[in-house]
Amino acid sequence: MAAPTIYPTGTTVFDPEKTWSGYTLYIARDTGAALVDMNGNVIQLWEGLHGFPCKPLPGGMVMGSLGVRDPQYGYMDHTDVVQVNWEGEVTWKFDQYEFIEDPGNEGMWMARQHHDFQREGNPVGYYVPGMDPMTEGGSTIILGHKNLVNPKISDKMLVDDVIYEVTWDGDIVWEWVCSDHFDEMGFSEEAKNILCRNPNMVIGKGLVGDWMHINSVSTLGPNRWYDAGDERFHPDNIIWDGRMANIMAIVDKKSGKIVWQVGPDYRSSPELRKIGWIIGQHHAHMIPKGLPGEGNILVFDNGGFAGYGAPNPSSPTGHNNALREYSRVLEFDPITLKLVWMYTYFEAGYLNRMGRYHFFSPLISSAQRLPNGNTMITEGSNGRMLEVTSDHELVWEYISPYFGEDGKSNHVYRAYRVPCEWVPQVRAPEEIPVPRMDISRFRVPGTEWKEEQRKTAVKGARGYASMPQLCVADLTIDED
Amino acid sequence: MTVRIYTATGCARCKITKRFMKDNDIDYEEYDFKADGKDAFSQFYRANRKDIFRDKDGVEFPVFSDGKVIRQGVSVIIGYLVAGDDLHGFIGRSLLHGEWIDGFNVSGGDPAGMDDLLSVLAYLKKNGLKIQISTDGRNAAVLQAVKEKNLADRVIMEVRGPAALCRPPVDEGELKQSMALTARFPDYRFVTTVAPVERPEGGISYLTPEEIGQTAGMIEEATGGKKHPYVLERFDPENAEKKEFKGLEMLPDSAMFKYRTAARRYQVMAEIKSQR
Repeated sequence: MAAPTIYPTGTTVFDPEKTWSGYTLYIARDTGAALVDMNGNVIQLWEGLHGFPCKPLPGGMVMGSLGVRDPQYGYMDHTDVVQVNWEGEVTWKFDQYEFIEDPGNEGMWMARQHHDFQREGNPVGYYVPGMDPMTEGGSTIILGHKNLVNPKISDKMLVDDVIYEVTWDGDIVWEWVCSDHFDEMGFSEEAKNILCRNPNMVIGKGLVGDWMHINSVSTLGPNRWYDAGDERFHPDNIIWDGRMANIMAIVDKKSGKIVWQVGPDYRSSPELRKIGWIIGQHHAHMIPKGLPGEGNILVFDNGGFAGYGAPNPSSPTGHNNALREYSRVLEFDPITLKLVWMYTYFEAGYLNRMGRYHFFSPLISSAQRLPNGNTMITEGSNGRMLEVTSDHELVWEYISPYFGEDGKSNHVYRAYRVPCEWVPQVRAPEEIPVPRMDISRFRVPGTEWKEEQRKTAVKGARGYASMPQLCVADLTIDED
Repeated sequence: MTVRIYTATGCARCKITKRFMKDNDIDYEEYDFKADGKDAFSQFYRANRKDIFRDKDGVEFPVFSDGKVIRQGVSVIIGYLVAGDDLHGFIGRSLLHGEWIDGFNVSGGDPAGMDDLLSVLAYLKKNGLKIQISTDGRNAAVLQAVKEKNLADRVIMEVRGPAALCRPPVDEGELKQSMALTARFPDYRFVTTVAPVERPEGGISYLTPEEIGQTAGMIEEATGGKKHPYVLERFDPENAEKKEFKGLEMLPDSAMFKYRTAARRYQVMAEIKSQR
């Protein structure tokens, strides 16, 4: 997360031979939903559409939201979830979760949606062969908010996470309230202590505790674990992750019980110690059947700051007590917890310690498995979207040029790669390769690269070592 | 026969009861369970176990005995001292502790006892208790009197369904009058248990989502508002009073959402009672 003042936006790398090409859909900050081709041309902008996230549907349609609740009173609440066609017409809408009357605002129904939703037909909201999301029917799983007090957690008002399912006709038919399952989550006494005192208080109708901060919800869909008889992985079951608690969990759709969980304590087993402390993660989901890695869990492990636990020098109260200054994309087996694939600064080819920031997004972000085995990653905090092969080769990179009204950030919550067939309104674009540039000779107008004007050989100089030595050890010692 | 009162050190409701008896020149003997009266109460409890309510938190004090009857709890005792058994139906055991007291059902008693009920409420309120009363719509005149004299801090109105299905029966006009009055209290909520009902045409079945919608609509019609606190509860056949209802299957959790959706068309704050 250390960018120079001047850097290019748009597509910066594109190898058509190695990518799983299509369009990329993301919310351009303060602008709308942008659909860009591999060369970075915006072929459609759904102007004004919000999306947390915005999701593609076949037929040139998208899902998102029409607006956001007054931020003085709501915390990330979106007013509704809508389906919008190519012409910008709303063809489906749900908002009847809670009637909200904020001071100075008209009372209105709101979905209070945030961070995720899934339309029936597809478990994860991105392209899976043979699993198209429904566009003329089907239910939608929505992640929302509900304000409540749960004395088991804290005496403070919580902005709790709820997951609910709404039919095409707008009937809510299932609801799961996160705090109801607090006892199942295995928080330590240290974690409960700080949770009680500070359940991550944020501003929203006064101070409220965003204690779990779920940011991803998807169904498991058909999978090999269930096929082998493991009921925990019933296709209807729901996987979610809670950024603030460093938890990933699967909820049994029928009973509501948590039947599988990773976190919050990554010291609790040798397998978890090997994975390492997952911090502030986003977009944990099971790779759907039909895609390479199917059945594994794919997650953007942000690092940054999150968690509740014992105080330490970086966290005097135990709030946000886990810290790491780089991100990881992890793919792991949900049964053995064995790491299958990983992408970090290291796989990206950067130095330890000094180069970690080259792949780091402390907030937002996501990972999508593509049909050719590549992984499309949103490194959200700096608006970078990239596609890497299973061998970690960077084959596409794009940086959002939308810096918002204040010009301060081009962050992107989550982007999705969309197959061209899902956008029948336009002809598939010509693909122009964009080779990775040698930036040592890359100059902006007003300057130009030139050979050194004078070179003077220093007599007796012994040359440079092949490995740079830094001020700290460049090894991670496995203390186990 | 000597009037005895069994108390516990520090029990505020015991003090209110004793104050009432002093104010009304009723002589009594006091036995403090947490002091010298422990043995006396233990002996009394063993002899009258079936008449003394006790739960996991223990016995609720004060306990009163005049040799003829045993009464327990400040409101029940004062009600008895004011009107004998005439307030039976209006005053029951309080489930709330601390500054709040409940157990007052304005629909449950004979309206002829209204003045005595009001005097009990007034005494408790004067002594610093916050009063929660309940109604099912009957005895709207009593509710109105409570409102006019400002004798309740919170009202819970149990609306049992559309007027034609309410049991005990209640006149629709009176039901709506109670609804309108309820909404005028500083703290209130409407509650409907999604319960089985005996159908006029015969048979027993749960209230339908449409009927809950009608119920919510009636609240809107009676009060002129759509934004009242309205709680839907799930019926538990195991706790049913009527034996015909005990064998029914409990509605699944998920069934409640349709009821909530139906209610929210008329009462936007409708919510399902948490099972937590």
